[in-house]
Amino acid sequence: MRELTATVLENKKIAEEIYALTFGAEETPPVRAGQFVMVGVEGFPLRRPLAVCKAEGERVTVCYRIKGEGTRRLASGYSRGEKISVLLPLGNGFFVAEKEKRVAIVGGGVGIFPLISAIREYAETKEIYAYMGFRNKGALCMQYEMQRAKELVVATDDGSVGYRGTAVQAFMENIDRVRPDVILSCGPTPMLRALKSAVAGRNIPTFVSLEERMGCGVGACLVCVCELTNGEHARVCKDGPVFEIGEVNL
Amino acid sequence: MSDLRVNLCGVELKNPVIPASGTFGFGREFDELYDISVLGGVCTKGLTLEPRLGNPVPRIAESRGVILNAVGLQNPGVEHFIEHDLTWLKAKTRVIANVAGRETEDYGKICARLDGLVDFIELNISCPNVKCGGMALGVRPENVENVTRIAKSALKRTPLLVKLSPNVESIAENARAAERGGADGISLVNTFTGMVIDVERRRPLLANNTGGVSGAGIKPIAVRMVYEAAHAVNIPVVGMGGIVCAEDAIEFLMAGATTVEVGTQNFTDAFACPKIIDGLQKWCDFHGVERISELIGAVKMNG
Repeated sequence: MRELTATVLENKKIAEEIYALTFGAEETPPVRAGQFVMVGVEGFPLRRPLAVCKAEGERVTVCYRIKGEGTRRLASGYSRGEKISVLLPLGNGFFVAEKEKRVAIVGGGVGIFPLISAIREYAETKEIYAYMGFRNKGALCMQYEMQRAKELVVATDDGSVGYRGTAVQAFMENIDRVRPDVILSCGPTPMLRALKSAVAGRNIPTFVSLEERMGCGVGACLVCVCELTNGEHARVCKDGPVFEIGEVNL
Repeated sequence: MSDLRVNLCGVELKNPVIPASGTFGFGREFDELYDISVLGGVCTKGLTLEPRLGNPVPRIAESRGVILNAVGLQNPGVEHFIEHDLTWLKAKTRVIANVAGRETEDYGKICARLDGLVDFIELNISCPNVKCGGMALGVRPENVENVTRIAKSALKRTPLLVKLSPNVESIAENARAAERGGADGISLVNTFTGMVIDVERRRPLLANNTGGVSGAGIKPIAVRMVYEAAHAVNIPVVGMGGIVCAEDAIEFLMAGATTVEVGTQNFTDAFACPKIIDGLQKWCDFHGVERISELIGAVKMNG
């Protein structure tokens, strides 16, 4: 975990309301799939937690949706060459065990971005089956990254491209053929809930990456907690953001 | 080199900069970023006798220049802290244990448990209290005095700081109430109660509806309150509220604070505290201030 003053290499719109920010710094530490960074936006007291989409040596790409004033400022105020303060790498990330060869990836909305980092990390050594949900054609992005998967199904709510329906529905139509050893997922809470009930009883290790409003991002302030099934609270930033699906109440 | 050491209630701190309760855990996470032994002290996450889960999420919101939090005292309980964190933290720097309770009696019990184990107790009396009809214990001067007396009577060795809420009629009156109750010092300000509404959902953004406002935007109010409180009592004051840089910290010292706490800025800049310490050293060296303690209460009012 380090704080860097990085240089913005690119910050561009890649879909409706979605931006991809690439920054670089010589001393960028290694970043794993599923980890995140806290990005400082000048004039805003809280950093923005953003999932890592790509980490290539000293270059890191994070993607974000314009959600409020902070992300709007991030999109408008940080063009190529600007300096940006980042805290990284944060969180635990996705881990796929050696013996798990067939990896199913189920993502929706901005949840697809941390999953792209997992596709990139495991594409060479695993068989990846990806089911990625988008609102509509206008929201579709990063197709070339998702195509690293052995199988890719793009799902849209309105059927404007690919499968008509949700990523979870697309996945469940294929699960018996794909027979995944492990499932990695990230997306809106209703999607994660649907996945949890759909795979219940199948005994497939399933890991979800959670999103929560954060304070410090390093585990100190206990702002971004999630509820565990044992009644305890876990810190999304430090104990997560990736949890076994059976371990958390969604 | 100017001397940054200060004496708070008879205990020497290597400098006056302390991360504020709730923004720094028990120090372990920030120690992964920098050696926290550079700090004057660490004020712990609010501790209670029993472990607490706190409020539902979202627990944090942002507004221009400020944040709001409603964590609700999530903590692993005082015994867990003593067993797992205290020895480690004590070896690093001075430990200020922030403590809270459900009932006034809880304050006595938790103080008794920590007496002699930590360098200071900081009494959090801003949490809603059942016996006060849900009102914070720290609102009415008579309640402030009462809970201070109960805590103080449980302490034989550790100095007691009472952390004052700013959501009160008269901060000077409440400062005097803490002094009458036997406080060795006071700290202020705790957060201001506020609300942020998500206009799309027509609901408050925080699950708790309201939360404590902190950050740069509250600083002028906090400086004024520290000035008023410091001039109302003869015990030392720990000042806080929106400190971002060394000059902000100096304002609090000049207003009458002996040490300062830095909270929200730890989120904006994880290295805020060491940067402020460096800044204080440079400011004092540049201005020929031999000892930083000379700045305490140094402000002179106009006309």
